[in-house]
Amino acid sequence: MTAERQCPKCGQIIPWGQVECPLCTERTSYFWSLRRDTFLLLTLLVLLLLFVATGFATKFYHAQEKVIAEQWFARGEAELRAGQASAAVEDFRNALAYSRDNAKYRLELDKALLAAGRLQEAHARLLALWEQEPGNGVLNLELARLAVRQSSVPEALRYYHNAIYGEWEKDPVEQRHAARLELAQFLLRSGQKAAAQSELIGLAADLPPDSGLETQVGSLLLASGENDQALKLFLEALRLNPGQEAALFSAGEAYYNLGNYSAAAHYLRRALEGDPHSTRAQTLAGTARLILSVNPSEPRLSRQERAKRTFRAFQQAMARLLNCAASRGINLQAGQESRRLQSLYAQAMDVQPDVQIPALGEDSDLRATVMDLAFDIENATAQECGQPQGLDLALLLLGRAQGGGRP
Amino acid sequence: MSASPSPTASTPPAPRFHLPWADLLRRLHWRHLTFTLREQQLFLLLAVIIGLFSGLSVVLFRIAIDGLRFELLGSGLTPAALRVLLAPVLGGLVVAFLVIKLFPRVRGSGVNQTKAAVYVYDGFIPFNTVIGKFVTCALAIGSGQSLGPEDPSLQMGAGIASALGRRLRLSREKVRLIAPVGAAAGLAAAFNAPISAVLFVIEEVIGTWSAGVLGAIILSAVSSVVITRWFLGDQPLFSIPPYHLVHPAELLAYAALGVVGGLASLVFVHLIRFARPRLKALPRWTHYLQPAVAGLLIGVIGLKFPQVMGAGYIYIDQAMHDQYAWQVLAMLAAFKILSTSLSFVSGTPGGMFAPALFIGAMMGGAVGGVEHHFFPWLTGSVGAYALVGMGALFAGFLRVPMTSVFMVLEVSGNYSIILPAMISNMIAYLISRQYQSTPLFDMLSKQDGLDLPSMEERREVETPRVEDALRPYSGPILQGGDSIAEALRHAANSPQGVLLAQDGEGSWCSITKEELQRQVEAGNTAAPLSSLLPSTPLPHVHPDQVLDEALRRLGDAPLLPVVNRANFRKLEGVISLSDILQAYRRQESGG
Repeated sequence: MTAERQCPKCGQIIPWGQVECPLCTERTSYFWSLRRDTFLLLTLLVLLLLFVATGFATKFYHAQEKVIAEQWFARGEAELRAGQASAAVEDFRNALAYSRDNAKYRLELDKALLAAGRLQEAHARLLALWEQEPGNGVLNLELARLAVRQSSVPEALRYYHNAIYGEWEKDPVEQRHAARLELAQFLLRSGQKAAAQSELIGLAADLPPDSGLETQVGSLLLASGENDQALKLFLEALRLNPGQEAALFSAGEAYYNLGNYSAAAHYLRRALEGDPHSTRAQTLAGTARLILSVNPSEPRLSRQERAKRTFRAFQQAMARLLNCAASRGINLQAGQESRRLQSLYAQAMDVQPDVQIPALGEDSDLRATVMDLAFDIENATAQECGQPQGLDLALLLLGRAQGGGRP
Repeated sequence: MSASPSPTASTPPAPRFHLPWADLLRRLHWRHLTFTLREQQLFLLLAVIIGLFSGLSVVLFRIAIDGLRFELLGSGLTPAALRVLLAPVLGGLVVAFLVIKLFPRVRGSGVNQTKAAVYVYDGFIPFNTVIGKFVTCALAIGSGQSLGPEDPSLQMGAGIASALGRRLRLSREKVRLIAPVGAAAGLAAAFNAPISAVLFVIEEVIGTWSAGVLGAIILSAVSSVVITRWFLGDQPLFSIPPYHLVHPAELLAYAALGVVGGLASLVFVHLIRFARPRLKALPRWTHYLQPAVAGLLIGVIGLKFPQVMGAGYIYIDQAMHDQYAWQVLAMLAAFKILSTSLSFVSGTPGGMFAPALFIGAMMGGAVGGVEHHFFPWLTGSVGAYALVGMGALFAGFLRVPMTSVFMVLEVSGNYSIILPAMISNMIAYLISRQYQSTPLFDMLSKQDGLDLPSMEERREVETPRVEDALRPYSGPILQGGDSIAEALRHAANSPQGVLLAQDGEGSWCSITKEELQRQVEAGNTAAPLSSLLPSTPLPHVHPDQVLDEALRRLGDAPLLPVVNRANFRKLEGVISLSDILQAYRRQESGG
């Protein structure tokens, strides 16, 4: 731009790189001969044509972008399914380069980032999305899951609740139930049983007639200790689908926990008919049957049988007491009645002379006294020597179910 | 022959229906409208048309860049190694040929060429520059040269505006002003940020808030952004992570970012200042190869860091979402400075706005990462640092402090970021100004042999005011109601030759002592002084007004009264032509 000259005609500076004065040469051209209004009209016409041309070009451009984005996205999905999260991240990024605001792509990228363990980046991306759509259910759920992975309980609770009450594009009711279920599972995992119970009870009140879902919610209620509520759901699920093994087993377990061993044995037996290899069902069913077999209060038993069961229970409890004391090195005859086991031993020694099958058959009060003593012994030995097995366990659970076995 | 009257005479003339709306239709005819439009109105209409044209050309420009990138580098963000090496080299060769043989004026900064059009060429920008910028920049950026599309868009807008203004035979003054109108439109469309574009043009091209052109600039910027959003969507350039300033102490961390931004700007500017004239001075045949060699070097960098190729907006977006570790961000910033300098100094046409944003974002992210490492309690995300870093480098490198702050606000859409942005940008700006006296655009224009006005100097020049030139009035203030003899008696002992008088309404007039003397000698002693005073009162000025204004008002008057703004009757002093000239001389000599 250093070699500039002045135009001899108009006195304007001729820019560097130009041979003739652009102003003077322009004035001789056709366009300069046009009137201002004609030129303005032509300009508007050109503008219109350019607008149309740009419209076509943009349409083609966007169509191309869409195709490329979908190709990258499909590739990313396939790689994510194959467990190659890092490769999927790159593919989703490529897809997003052509369709930046595509929520589906962004969400999949965030999921891939989570799967690849790139939590910080996923968090930043999700937060940016959330800022735009704070009520989006999917986003809130993903953020809640991220918070769970980062062990941030208050954040997780906040995002889970946002997801439960947020907006869902597809199947909002089902999605909200699923989110609430996930929240309850998280609460149970983090030891917040009361909070989990309140979520589950709320969810149970709003469930559609779906035996699978009812069983799922019931199982969580069971895990949270809400046996009554859980049982209602299992029974409802069985009403809808009587052969559902999971509901049968869970109903049996709920009855078992509630101390209704005959019902528990019934449902567990039915569950085992469907799945004979379920170890847990076998164990529970076995214990329930054992409890029923040692319980002298079972209906339709003869006096003789009640007496035999009471006698057997007493013998079993005494044996457990002696074994426990021996294992702990406790001298039961030392006379220190302040110690629980020695006190129970003393009581047992007092009643032992009366514990005979004929006497037990005749005297229902004696049977009750002896059974209470047996329950107390099982309870005390369980505290001292740990959870018993077999018949001792049956007696312990029976005592608890009948309100005996004072701790 | 019958003398029947001729039909024309006997038949009454056909009734002429006067349509009440015919006049209105005639008035609304486009030709009538354009004829009757005043130039200012036509200027505003033209601003809208320029905005629409600029918007459309920027849309096509972006499509061309993306299309070329797709063809040359592939659709993935990480192109194949062979493409990374070949595309910028081949692109560079073609671009060099086009620039040297067909479009010699597309080389260099579009901002400076627009300024040159305003201050040197009476608004003239040849239209083939628009075509040349479009073709060569699309090819350069699309093939991976480390340059951005904003500066070319700005110049394309200015070129379109210049062509339209000249063809419509606007006055010389309007043609001169129309290039910045187009520049604002082009930049606004490229950035999708109308406020920043308007501010940039005012801050860097025009230098003043001229009411005559501001409306047109805004109209063109808005209409171009409307077009861009219509065709390309209304999403901002980046999706910004949420930001909240939790504790004021965190501003210190952003201040540190400002320091780093200022230093990075200095490195960037010095690199260009050092290399550009040296490469330009090499034999002419090397100019054909320089862009290709720069492309090869960029390709080598791109093998490890493909992010440095092209404008890099998508990578800025990724940096804002914590995708990179701070070490990677720091390296990206360093390599982008190098690659952009290579591209620019080799004469490859293209802009440096996008690279400045890229470098700022990476640098900001790196600083944020380091600060988080050492001070984990800082709550600002790396994305927030990247965003503020963009503004800091923009302020330090391009020396546009206002634009940089508003750009950060506009691209983030988050007002909470304003405090960190202001602090960081100002620190970067001040450091850059302290250690690099000549701003980038002024430096480039000087290297090109042009002495364009420096907007920074113009902003900072101290305008002398009336208070710097006024002197106390030592004579009496005559009253219009006094007799001429009385007035002469008052003036008798005054050293002032020219005396001030006030009429009954408080207006100021001047009269010479000689005139009073002459009237008394003629026996006109009892007449009131007001009969001698001119009917037009003397204009007055206030102490805070600029001297230019006083000079304009002075006209042929011997002096002007300087009066208080709250009380026009209260005289603060007087000012004469010699006082004004003395004040200007004092300012010129630094006194």
